[in-house]
Amino acid sequence: MIYDIRHVTTYEYESPVSFARCTLRLEPKDGNGQELISHKVEIRPRPSERHVRRDFFGTLTESIVIEAAHRNLRIDSRSRVSVERKPPAREAVSPPWESVRDIAFEATSLGPSSPVGYVFASPLVPVLRPVSAYAAESFASGAGILAGAVDLMHRVRTEFRYDPKATVISTPLNEVFDKRHGVCQDFAHVMIAGLRGLGLPAAYVSGYLRTIPPAGQPRLQGADATHAWVSLWCGAELGWIDFDPTNDLLVANDHIVLAVGRDFSDVSPVDGIIVGSPKQKLGVAVDVLLVD
Amino acid sequence: MGEGAAEQDKAGKAQGQREGQRRLAQWVRDYRRLPGIPDEFLGPDGAPRAVWSRFFNAFGALAPDEVERRFGMADRHLREAGVTYRAPGDSADRPWSISHLPLLIDEADWKQLSDGITQRAELLELVLRDIYGEGRLVAEGALPAGAIAGSPEYLRPVCGVPPPGGRYLSLYAADVGRGPDGRWWVLGDRTQAPSGAGYALENRLVLSRAFSDLYKSMNVPRVAPFFEAFRDSLRGRADRDEPRIGVLTPGSFSETYFEHATLARYLGFLLVEGDDLAVSDNRIHIRTVAGLKRLDVLLRRVDSNSLDPLELDASSHLGVPGLIDVLRKDGVVVANMPGSGVLEARALLGFLPALSRRLLGEELKMPHIATWWCGQRSARDEVLSRLDEVAIEGAYRRGVPGFDSNGPVLASELDAAGHQRLVDAISARGMDYVGQEVVRLSTMPVWEQGQLTPRPFVLRVFAAATPDGWAIMPGGFCRIAEQADARAVSMGDGARAADVWVVSDKKVSTASLLPATDKVRIRRIAGVLPSRAADNLFWLGRYLERAEATLRLVRALGSPSGPNKGTAASLQSAERIQRLLVTWGAISQTSRAAPGRIVAEALQSPERFGSALSLVRSAQRTATSLRERLSPDAWQVITEMAERLSYEVEDDDSVLSAAELTLQELASFAGLAQENMNRAAGWRFLDIGRRTERAINTARFARQFAYDEAGDEDLDILLTLVDSQITYRSRYLLAPILAPVRDLAVLDSYNPRSVAFQVATLNEHIAALPSLKEHGLIEQPQRLAVAVQSMLATAEAEKLEVKTLFALEQDLLSLAEAIGLHYFPHGPNASRPEKLTGLA
Repeated sequence: MIYDIRHVTTYEYESPVSFARCTLRLEPKDGNGQELISHKVEIRPRPSERHVRRDFFGTLTESIVIEAAHRNLRIDSRSRVSVERKPPAREAVSPPWESVRDIAFEATSLGPSSPVGYVFASPLVPVLRPVSAYAAESFASGAGILAGAVDLMHRVRTEFRYDPKATVISTPLNEVFDKRHGVCQDFAHVMIAGLRGLGLPAAYVSGYLRTIPPAGQPRLQGADATHAWVSLWCGAELGWIDFDPTNDLLVANDHIVLAVGRDFSDVSPVDGIIVGSPKQKLGVAVDVLLVD
Repeated sequence: MGEGAAEQDKAGKAQGQREGQRRLAQWVRDYRRLPGIPDEFLGPDGAPRAVWSRFFNAFGALAPDEVERRFGMADRHLREAGVTYRAPGDSADRPWSISHLPLLIDEADWKQLSDGITQRAELLELVLRDIYGEGRLVAEGALPAGAIAGSPEYLRPVCGVPPPGGRYLSLYAADVGRGPDGRWWVLGDRTQAPSGAGYALENRLVLSRAFSDLYKSMNVPRVAPFFEAFRDSLRGRADRDEPRIGVLTPGSFSETYFEHATLARYLGFLLVEGDDLAVSDNRIHIRTVAGLKRLDVLLRRVDSNSLDPLELDASSHLGVPGLIDVLRKDGVVVANMPGSGVLEARALLGFLPALSRRLLGEELKMPHIATWWCGQRSARDEVLSRLDEVAIEGAYRRGVPGFDSNGPVLASELDAAGHQRLVDAISARGMDYVGQEVVRLSTMPVWEQGQLTPRPFVLRVFAAATPDGWAIMPGGFCRIAEQADARAVSMGDGARAADVWVVSDKKVSTASLLPATDKVRIRRIAGVLPSRAADNLFWLGRYLERAEATLRLVRALGSPSGPNKGTAASLQSAERIQRLLVTWGAISQTSRAAPGRIVAEALQSPERFGSALSLVRSAQRTATSLRERLSPDAWQVITEMAERLSYEVEDDDSVLSAAELTLQELASFAGLAQENMNRAAGWRFLDIGRRTERAINTARFARQFAYDEAGDEDLDILLTLVDSQITYRSRYLLAPILAPVRDLAVLDSYNPRSVAFQVATLNEHIAALPSLKEHGLIEQPQRLAVAVQSMLATAEAEKLEVKTLFALEQDLLSLAEAIGLHYFPHGPNASRPEKLTGLA
């Protein structure tokens, strides 16, 4: 499947902004069932500095500096991506979760794909006893890792209420968990916190969903903005498997991966500081169209 | 000295020695060692160790009241120098508390300790290079990945970034204690931004002064060469000669802010906060009154994660957006390199002996406290099986995950439910915990009411990287615990600090080899003045001048010869003074009804922001942020004023005498600034603040008391307020008359209290300041100051109108604002960097 993606981020400021320094992570991943065909970012006003590098997690990161005074910032990202993934069936056989946990911790690498980097608390995902206990209910002793994670994902989908007005980016995880509501990012963070509480390696994935569902299927939740889900290391054989707790499904060809990290703070698509206006209005529009 | 006198002196000395020996014997008898715990003072045989008996023999020769006098001297010095720290959650600084006896360490013993620290520092440097570089230790199984990955100080953004300047660790510290086997043990490593070196310096200064003869006779090496080596090494790390170096502090609310200021002043570095710095052209720059200036080296006292909101903790305001990217481009040396704190993780301790063999080819010279990291199955099982015998600590940072405790958790002290919770937590996520041997560390004597009492202590030893290897500070930062377990000691727990003397066995023959005391090396503050410091100096000047004006009003209102004589005119004058005090926020509108309280309120009401007390406190607060730029004398004057004004006064007489004394202190502060302050830009801003405020106040007084119909009495008050009585009388030999009084107060540029004099001085200052002009045009402050000056120069006293005085006052206010906008663009009113809203 080939998708054309348009991701436009706009900021409107109440008073002129004299300086901005931003970090962009807008290039879809290349690899792991996904091929990047083209990618381009246009920024207005035009930055005085632009440079790109790969960050620790392998994400293409662009740093920009804008020194011209401006009231609007518009970041227009266009990508074409081909996706071909084969996730395991929900019921597929998998190794017991305890052995996955132990093997993950034995990893002899600190690299971005080493599972050991994802078993610890991270800036936005603390390890909390109640959340760990919640997750433990899905992982009976000796249960397959896949079965456990599917069950946990299903419970998050059914026991948490999707409510875009309930949380903001800074809402702490314990509040999301106590109130059982939030958006895709919150559900991903809760599921990650639960998995890590058990010592399992869970990563945070940011990306997109196709806008128009295949004929006869419902539109997925979160399709007109950036989306977020969970990647779980399921042992050496299965490797990293992606779970979408917002939609209760194993990620296949309707998802496009932008970046992977420990939590949102590692992958934030547009981040930065400005000098000038404390009041700002953010707009995000995402279109993901099937080309072929 | 005659022969007889020499004999007498000799006899006195002998008697002193006998007395010393007698006291020592008494102290030894009364010393109650803690059972089963080794002690520094007394050996296992109950006899004092050699260094201590040398010390106490001499110490005991001092008469008891002499000892108390010297202790008092040390305390006074600390108080006067304003040595403070702030415990987390405190809103005010606490005075530093020092144990009056130093910790003594025998030279040979010290040699072993410093060898151990040197080796350890080198080992940790090599481990950091590998972790953030090639990663062979983890790949080859010498170091479990989890022992690193779990630390919040493992900074992924700097992986693979070589440290600018070539090193991770510039300053390393280890907390050590003496174990039951008599050896020094490492309790923990400080690799992030070790604190305490500045306090150690201060402790040394105090004790070596209070006991200078004793200090001399013990042959104690100075600590100054250590700091010099450290400074020179940081300098050498920069990529240009004469580099600019800053101490990056979180700010005056930080618990160790005093130390940051001390180090900055002592080492001759700039004290900077994140807001003072900006990234430009892949370099770090400091905002100064002369524009952006490159900063080459940052000695940071801000934790890694707070250093860059763009790549690390996004909510932090303490760092510099873009700093990590500058590191990538080799644009600034940061000491220690961000990410170095990863080695503070206790999870690592158990692996160091093997790493030492591997990386250095040597055995570790110093043991550390036995530690089992529960991320490994065998260690976890060991800890669980001996849970009641070990102390449980967090594996990666202070505090035990899931338990509200800052120090270790002892299973034996938990109830059954807590015990089970601990077992469950370690079984589920063992990697987050370590078990540590409970070690009884040695005690040292402290002085309590003429007796010696043993107390546990922790010693922090400092190592600085230099081109010739590691330099170890001879001495260190010793904290004495009030409780039996010294490991949990932090200054916040009310602990005392002690100086640390390394003592040579050998009596040194020539005293001249020994410097008398550790002298602070005074250096000039580096040539640039950060805008923030300029801003603070400006406001310090203004607050003090406003306090002076308020005190003069108080004095005029309260003095018996003043306008309280009951005539209509004097009532009117009093009314005017009160109105001024209300406008200034020194008294409330309602208290005008109760004249008896007015003077006291204006003097010392903490609720009125314009009272003399509030103004002096504002000055003190501002001065706190300027610690590295103010002389101890100047600081002391401000502290004394604040203290005096906060004593509640009873009657008008004591109000007046408090006002009088405070005015004298203000004059002495002005004198200190005038005579002692370096004439670099800093002094100018202090003076600009003072002159601006005085010009505004004088213009206002002139308008209030030299109005067109003003009578003798009002004019007389004006002369008093602007301190020009004597000048007037010597010149005119007449009762006050409107035009000459106006001339003297406003226009006479020879009168140092006149508006014209202030404005002329302001013009000199502004002309001498660096120009930021971008268009070649005259700058706004200068434009305004020159205009006011020429107006004053051409005005005639006889034709001066009140509305002109009012316009003058407004112009001066605009000038003050223009100075702020021009020189302090990032001051409190300026736009701070804001975070972009994140995506949901």
